[in-house]
Amino acid sequence: MIDVIEAARTAGVEWLSLYAFSTENWRRPAGEVDFLMRLVRHAVRKHAPLLHARRIRCRFLGVTDSRVPAPLARDFADLMTLTGANRGMTLTVAFDHGGRGDIVEAARSLIRSGVSADAVDEENFAAHLPFPDTPDVDLVIRTSGEQRISNFMLWQVAYAEWVFPPVLWPDFRATHFVECLRTFQQRDRRFGGVTPNANGETRP
Amino acid sequence: MTDTTGSHPDATAQEHPVDGDAPLFGPGSQFHQFFNDPRWALAMVRATVLEAAHPQVGAALMESSTFVVHPWRRLRNTFLSLQRMFGADDQVRQREAARLNRLHSRLNGTDAHQRPYDAMDPHVRAWVVATLFESTVTMCRLSGQPLEQRTMERLYAEFQAYLAVMDGEDGRLPATLQEFWPYYDRVVEEELENTEALRIILYKLFDHLPAPPVLDGLPTVWAAGRALAGPLVGAITVSSLPESFRRRAGLPDIPGARTLTQSAYLAIGLARFLPDSWTQAEGLVSLLFVAPDSEDPRARTVTAVRDGMKRAGALLRLITPLPAQPDPAEAPGPQRTAEEFFRDVLDQTGDGYLDWPDLAAMARELSGRLDLDEPQETRLYNAYAEWWKELQTDLDTDGDGRISKEEYAAAVPSLAGPALIKVAEVLFDATDADGNQSIDADEYRALFRTGFHRDVADTDGSYSRAAFVRDFLSFMSGRQRSSPYDPLLAEA
Repeated sequence: MIDVIEAARTAGVEWLSLYAFSTENWRRPAGEVDFLMRLVRHAVRKHAPLLHARRIRCRFLGVTDSRVPAPLARDFADLMTLTGANRGMTLTVAFDHGGRGDIVEAARSLIRSGVSADAVDEENFAAHLPFPDTPDVDLVIRTSGEQRISNFMLWQVAYAEWVFPPVLWPDFRATHFVECLRTFQQRDRRFGGVTPNANGETRP
Repeated sequence: MTDTTGSHPDATAQEHPVDGDAPLFGPGSQFHQFFNDPRWALAMVRATVLEAAHPQVGAALMESSTFVVHPWRRLRNTFLSLQRMFGADDQVRQREAARLNRLHSRLNGTDAHQRPYDAMDPHVRAWVVATLFESTVTMCRLSGQPLEQRTMERLYAEFQAYLAVMDGEDGRLPATLQEFWPYYDRVVEEELENTEALRIILYKLFDHLPAPPVLDGLPTVWAAGRALAGPLVGAITVSSLPESFRRRAGLPDIPGARTLTQSAYLAIGLARFLPDSWTQAEGLVSLLFVAPDSEDPRARTVTAVRDGMKRAGALLRLITPLPAQPDPAEAPGPQRTAEEFFRDVLDQTGDGYLDWPDLAAMARELSGRLDLDEPQETRLYNAYAEWWKELQTDLDTDGDGRISKEEYAAAVPSLAGPALIKVAEVLFDATDADGNQSIDADEYRALFRTGFHRDVADTDGSYSRAAFVRDFLSFMSGRQRSSPYDPLLAEA
């Protein structure tokens, strides 16, 4: 994992998000969940100094679930405090995150703020999402040959390019990442319109 | 090298102080040269240990002092008191002496072995001053800059004068320095004991030294610092004690501690060459008490340091190897539990019970803050004494003369009785220095050392009696955290 983070940083990626654990993963057997939690805690603690040294700002999406063990939540909070002032690259770890949940939460927050229905547009809706400064996602890499969205950052992936390398996540290395980047660079991104150079129009 | 001697007139002047003419107090005195010396902190800890080893002082410390629970407060108060006593202003000195005498006259009783103790006993007070003098001399000796005989005599005369201001003319220190050393050796040899206060100070204090207020909320940083500093200060202090006493009291002889002690004193001595503002003992002590959000100009620096500390704390926690038993650290909410309030505010002496010395300590702290004179100081003590009687009647269900945590928790609602309201009223009168029935910004600052909070002041910018009494009661009984009383009574 740290390998991939390093590769992304070196390649000039400014925003990197990792999907570590989804809300649905809680349905897995308790022993497996416990093991995963210990693994995550171990990884966070092991890599904290390096992440900080690389000036990477770390933050966590959806760690407020009470099922997240208290010591792990403490480590998450500590890592956010430690790296909060860094501006090298922003690493968002989606932990116990569900894209629909985020959207529902944003809707709630919007209603609570008393905005009239007519005043709601995409921009001010997005301002109520968690970490509203996160830009739209350019590229999603879904490993293991699975070709599903799996409720990941639903709002932000609207215009994302997707690649589906067959390699399993534990085997996914820097070289795989660079390969995915190359694929991305060859994509013809049209953002819902047609390519500007095909008919001379500028994109919205 | 003879050609360079002429370029150091200051050094030459210092080596030959003008005897007779030099004042015993104030900026020209020998004592003043030590006052901002960072080695003082170590010397004062050492002096406190030697005081505690005296049976009578030890008993007074055990019965009444909050030193173990609030060491920083006590250190700060001692600094302030010495500053007043050794300052240039004779009126301030006389007032401070009167205040100390009033304070000491309240410290008497019998110890666990039914031996009487009395803080007004001239021998006891002489011993306290003797430890301060001797620790200063030892501080210089251990850091490789032993005092010259004349300087030492000068300093001794100043400490004698200090004692005389408190005791009138019959100070019990030996008349000359030549007679002092046999006196000192004799007390060490014959009177000092391994008292309970000594054991508590050495072991409990160094083991569980509470964090200074600036580090409050950052327990990990403090734990890391203390893990190193506590045993170190402990070892240094123990090994600097007179050897015969160390042997008799069965204090551990730590291999290498002697060398360590000398290097510690030496290292701290060398710190004198750092920029002044870094090392002024007084500055350090007061910085420990700056509240991060107060209007003190240093608060911004403190806030910046705190942010850095927060990050350092986060890093420390992350890189600390995982403990076998993870502890669920709870963030403190705005409300205290009855138990927390008992521990943080009421039980000032930290013995697990609420007793008169706990309330006396609060009265003492408040009088010190407000710099009260007679008769207001006595009024405040009396109000606290009345409250104590009320508490005892209402809360001491098992009749052992003190109130346990459980007895307190069971009776929390009845805490705001008429006697506590009386305490609030008396405190208001004392704080309202100009007697205009409202507390203005200056009077408020005298008590709490911070400016008015917006929600405190009435519309006309002052703090009324009713609001003051209400807030005091809500702190003392409603267990409201984050009130201005917190830094005053709850912090170390």
